[in-house]
Amino acid sequence: MSMNKSDSDHLLVATGISKSFGRVEALAPLNMTISQGERVALAGPSGSGKTTLLYLLAGIIQPDAGELLLAGQNLARQRPGKEKAGLVGLIHQQYDLVPHLPVLHNVLAGRLGQWSLFRSMISLVWPQDRQVAEEALAQMGIADKIHERTSHLSGGEQQRVAIARLMVQGSRVILADEPVSSLDPVRADDMLEILTALAGGSGRALVASIHSPRLMRKHFTRVIGLREGHLEFDIPAAEVTDRVFERLYDLDQSEAAVWGGGN
Amino acid sequence: MGGRELKLLESRRLLTLLLAGVFLWSLSTVDWRGPIIHTGGLAAFLDFLASLFPPELSPGFLGLALSASWQTLAYAVAGITLAVLIGFPLGVIASGSVSGSIRTGLGLAVAVRLILAAMRSIHELVWAVLFVAAFGLSSLTVILALALPYSGILGRIYGELFNQVPEGPLRALRASGASPFRVLLYGRLPMALPDMLGYTFYRLECAIRSAAIMSFVGIRGLGYEIQLSLHDLLFDQVWTLLLFMVGMVVLVDMWSSRVRRSLVS
Repeated sequence: MSMNKSDSDHLLVATGISKSFGRVEALAPLNMTISQGERVALAGPSGSGKTTLLYLLAGIIQPDAGELLLAGQNLARQRPGKEKAGLVGLIHQQYDLVPHLPVLHNVLAGRLGQWSLFRSMISLVWPQDRQVAEEALAQMGIADKIHERTSHLSGGEQQRVAIARLMVQGSRVILADEPVSSLDPVRADDMLEILTALAGGSGRALVASIHSPRLMRKHFTRVIGLREGHLEFDIPAAEVTDRVFERLYDLDQSEAAVWGGGN
Repeated sequence: MGGRELKLLESRRLLTLLLAGVFLWSLSTVDWRGPIIHTGGLAAFLDFLASLFPPELSPGFLGLALSASWQTLAYAVAGITLAVLIGFPLGVIASGSVSGSIRTGLGLAVAVRLILAAMRSIHELVWAVLFVAAFGLSSLTVILALALPYSGILGRIYGELFNQVPEGPLRALRASGASPFRVLLYGRLPMALPDMLGYTFYRLECAIRSAAIMSFVGIRGLGYEIQLSLHDLLFDQVWTLLLFMVGMVVLVDMWSSRVRRSLVS
């Protein structure tokens, strides 16, 4: 592949990364390259390895084999902290906010990698970088919730808080695990526009797991299809026809594969 | 399946037989020549119950009961406060969640857990006996005697609560670049705080009881007055003092639920 092309173009290069949990192979060795400006949709039925791939890209779990370069740096060798937080940020399906804290502190948690320990401590009493949090929340349309206890917010509002936290974190690669799974079609479009804006601009990219071909064609540039941990296809979003999509999610085929694999 | 149940039933019957046998054997150690129950006891007990109506309510005695309660409460609050100050950092280390290196963190955690266990395995009265020898009958004696075992208890519980919070938010904080200590500050602590507060208040109730029985080593307070009145067989006074004791625990309970409610809303 074009590994010798300028590194700045390739934001993310995975070479043969794989992951097993016990005897279950969650992800077979996978090669992929994501360049800046790309918006990549991950498709595939439940258990196909989408979340595993996102966690690997986020550095939350380490690959059993292979190498993962982010902006030319090996993620596995990087200790969690400022640099890693500036490279990748993940929105989890459950948003993963601290329910007992006010919204403000959950948003400012995106700064914990940049702040000194002392600043992190006094921020709980005198919020630091308050303006950054206010702007992010205003962009999310929930500026009025800034002092509310996070657990009192609706699911949709909590998702916006999680995105505001990611905004404040300022990561270059935004990873989103099923960001529209609990939203109606209009709000799903809304949410993907927000994520597109967040991952827009130079040197950035978006990777999200999505189940709707309509949303893929509308909001993404490229679609990666996974099935039982294997790469099925990696095509431009415009080429995702309903037939390609149905074949990926076809239940009969997956059952046949399971029985076939058992022999 | 049926065979296993039958076996269980058999062993249960065997156990019943064994226990019955032990009981019969124990009867042989009873001295049957005298009366088994102390015959004067019932009268004394009724006498004691009757003094509840009414308890001693003279203004002078109520004043004495109030100041004794105040003293006991002060000991308990001071002891628990010190226990929180000692138990909190020890609990953080015992949870093993703040060290950058896993191995040193685990080693430290095991060492601190041993220290906590040693502190709470010695009863507050035993600590009190030791401290009376060192400091005499001073407030310092009571407060230290309460603080040491209670730090051991609180430190252990705090450590467990820090480790029982949901993992998802912690993972998200780590992904934002937060160090283990920052994860404690922004994740573990706020999520564990309601339970920590509730448990600390419950321990304050226990500390009131413990402070009262410090009279056994000669410390003044509610327990001391109960002891004096009992010696003089003034049961109506004993009742008054016991009611003050119950009143204090009820007050702490009400305070606790108020604080927890305000934390949740």
